[in-house]
Amino acid sequence: MNRLNQLFTSKKDNLLSIYFTAGYPAINTTVDIAAALEKAGADFLEIGFPYSDPVADGPTIQHSSERALENGMTLNMLFEELTELRKRVTIPILLMGYFNPIVQYGIERFCKKAAELGVDGIIVPDLPMYEYEQMYSSYFIDNNLSNIFLVTPQTSEDRIRKIDELSNSFIYLLSSSSITGGSLQLTNSIEDYYKRIKAMELKNPTIIGFGISDNNTFKQACTYANGAIVGSKFVKLLEEENYMEKIPGFIKSIRP
Amino acid sequence: MKIKVCGLRDPENIKAVAALGPDYVGFICYGLSPRYVAELPGDVLKALPANIRKTAVFVNESAETINSLIDKYAFDVIQLHGDESAEFSNSFRNRVTVFKAFGLNDDFNFDQLTAYENKVDYFLFDTKTAAYGGSGKTFNWDMLNNYKLAVPFFLSGGVSLDNMDEIKKIDHPQFYGVDLNSRFETAPGVKDISKLKQAFDIIRNKILPMKYGVNEHGYYGDFGGAYIPEMLYPNVEELRQQYLSIINDAGFKAEFNDLLKNYVGRPSPLYHAKRYSEKYGASIFFKREDLNHTGSHKINNAIGQILLAKRLGKKRIIAETGAGQHGVATATVCALMGIECVVYMGEIDMARQAPNVSRMKMLGATVKPASSGSKTLKDATNEAMRDWIANPVDTHYIIGSVVGPYPYPDMVARFQSVISEETKKQLLEQTGKELPEYVMACVGGGSNAMGMFYHFLDDEQVKLIAVEAAGKGVDSGHSAATTFLGHEGVLHGSRTILMQTPDGQVVEPYSISAGLDYPGIGPQHAHLYKINRAQYTSITDDEALQAGLLCSQMEGIIPAIETAHALAQLEKMTFKSDDTVVICISGRGDKDLDTYIKYFNF
Repeated sequence: MNRLNQLFTSKKDNLLSIYFTAGYPAINTTVDIAAALEKAGADFLEIGFPYSDPVADGPTIQHSSERALENGMTLNMLFEELTELRKRVTIPILLMGYFNPIVQYGIERFCKKAAELGVDGIIVPDLPMYEYEQMYSSYFIDNNLSNIFLVTPQTSEDRIRKIDELSNSFIYLLSSSSITGGSLQLTNSIEDYYKRIKAMELKNPTIIGFGISDNNTFKQACTYANGAIVGSKFVKLLEEENYMEKIPGFIKSIRP
Repeated sequence: MKIKVCGLRDPENIKAVAALGPDYVGFICYGLSPRYVAELPGDVLKALPANIRKTAVFVNESAETINSLIDKYAFDVIQLHGDESAEFSNSFRNRVTVFKAFGLNDDFNFDQLTAYENKVDYFLFDTKTAAYGGSGKTFNWDMLNNYKLAVPFFLSGGVSLDNMDEIKKIDHPQFYGVDLNSRFETAPGVKDISKLKQAFDIIRNKILPMKYGVNEHGYYGDFGGAYIPEMLYPNVEELRQQYLSIINDAGFKAEFNDLLKNYVGRPSPLYHAKRYSEKYGASIFFKREDLNHTGSHKINNAIGQILLAKRLGKKRIIAETGAGQHGVATATVCALMGIECVVYMGEIDMARQAPNVSRMKMLGATVKPASSGSKTLKDATNEAMRDWIANPVDTHYIIGSVVGPYPYPDMVARFQSVISEETKKQLLEQTGKELPEYVMACVGGGSNAMGMFYHFLDDEQVKLIAVEAAGKGVDSGHSAATTFLGHEGVLHGSRTILMQTPDGQVVEPYSISAGLDYPGIGPQHAHLYKINRAQYTSITDDEALQAGLLCSQMEGIIPAIETAHALAQLEKMTFKSDDTVVICISGRGDKDLDTYIKYFNF
């Protein structure tokens, strides 16, 4: 049982997770931002490691990735910054990024290192289920890391069942088939999709992400799932001056 | 995996079998009086497509009779099913391809085959019977493990729908094809078309990939797969489930072939470049893809994919383009079909290739700039993928090369394989031999090279040479020589070889030719490279431009700068005087005139 499992056992509603890109707006800010988010009340965090070709991301996160790479961020540097992580942050931490940097670092080595630093889960949007199951799942399981799968409105029921079987902390529901940073209106078809998933009574909790940007969209998501993830909207805040001071207000604006 | 259907007789049945597209059809000429053979439906045989090789089966027949029947029916292949000697078999090889058949039982000694090595083209292993084959029984296929020679073989004798699973388990490097015969008959000599169709589907699509082809999970050895976010999964999965049944459908094939012939202008010529041949000391042939409509090989794939998109009910097409050749080809086929077209192109490429931007607009396409990252081809690809994520239901993404998630690399290779299919036939017509010693092509993502290699992959004696762009030199920091500079990783949905930093960030490549300016290669190329089936080499900007000039002034053909890389490789080769070399002239140089003019100060 890792921190994620403990969290989902003790708290079942209105969970709020925040995504941000490591190395943005500057290097050596990762743990400071994480600690401030915990203090402001975030329940768990996703720390993105940048990639040159982020196909699932919209302009905001693309921009943060480009800047982070210009700042010199690498997986090695991120892991160095994270040596301080567990001295200052207690909430669950996930790393999120694309597969190629992990392949170059070494998949097994990556899992070991992440676990050693106190990371609880990994989200790799472009690591497919087949490859995970056939080749890599043992590295995750041996290191007590949760692998988080995405589900979209187009994902079939059979596939969702399979994902539920392979998951051991939560399932990431995409609010719509889109890249990150889009705006979200709760339409009937989205509501039908949320209801359909809820009716499946999956063994894993569900967290909704993509397009969650304010209290309204957060509340809607929490009606159907255990919580929601805010990404692009928070990354935009990091562009502003004195962003550290604005973090508590930001969290309150999403979940008063 | 090749398919041979043997024992045909009835004219209507022959036509129905031919419609399935076998690689070989066989006619039993054994034990028949010359009068009977004369009754073979000659007109039906003549009307068979040239890619279906007509095979005559003989048992201990005289050379005179064999030769006269080859003359009479224009057989492409003879299958010697009796006790013919190696020398006797070899004596026909200047006219036809020769199969030597052997009946196997548990006592069979494979040593007796050594004498036939280099004297026949293929072996055919049948079940030993008192007569010569035709028992419908199988032999013990484990025996094949004792066969160690380098001559590829066909498996015959009792092959049926019931033992397809066992065939799947035969893992032998020389296993080249299956022979379907009596177990697929409704009456002697009359084939059961529906059973054959089932077998074709199993052999072609699911169970028996070509030796160098893709497996059912989308891999070529260590490379390939579909590394895509879940948002793209439904789109890619829909394609994966449907592409083979759509492109193998007779109606699809007919429409595809009709457009290739009457719209694209195929077959493209295979031209014997005499002055080049003299200069380089070998018989050099140009496969003229530059003469296609829109000026390059890209149109072959665009036609295939637009027909596929129509059958999938898609209403909107997206594409990425670097130099603009694929964008123009896609805009062209969308205009042809009246379908909305959006082409993504890097901002920098739009400035470099302004005339192609105008061409796409004139053809009715919307050209959207990719302004993220390095603002070139790889970023245009990212933007197209993002568009597809947002439009999962009504949009088809026409990828322009043998890259991307499975099934794209295989699908694009199949559409481009017409290049080598025609080449084999044309070479045979022009020179009497089907296989050249060398086949050469340039490689960016690798679609013209894969099309040029495709039907030669299983012919191990043919040397395949792929030419990458070295840019200003492989060590200059300005290069696109992926196999020299790259490492294994994941790019645009497939595991392949790509240029990247030690941290796994994709590196922006450089080449003077925008079409070769891509940081990866298709996964099948990565596989061919890794197992040494093809040789990968590179040519600098300067060498390519000089080769472009040489070709213009010696052969009157101004090649695309991409193509000029393949031509420049000739300078580095040593040929034997009787070598035959085919080079894919992938595109014409009109689009590159500005670059040529600037370089040579015309």
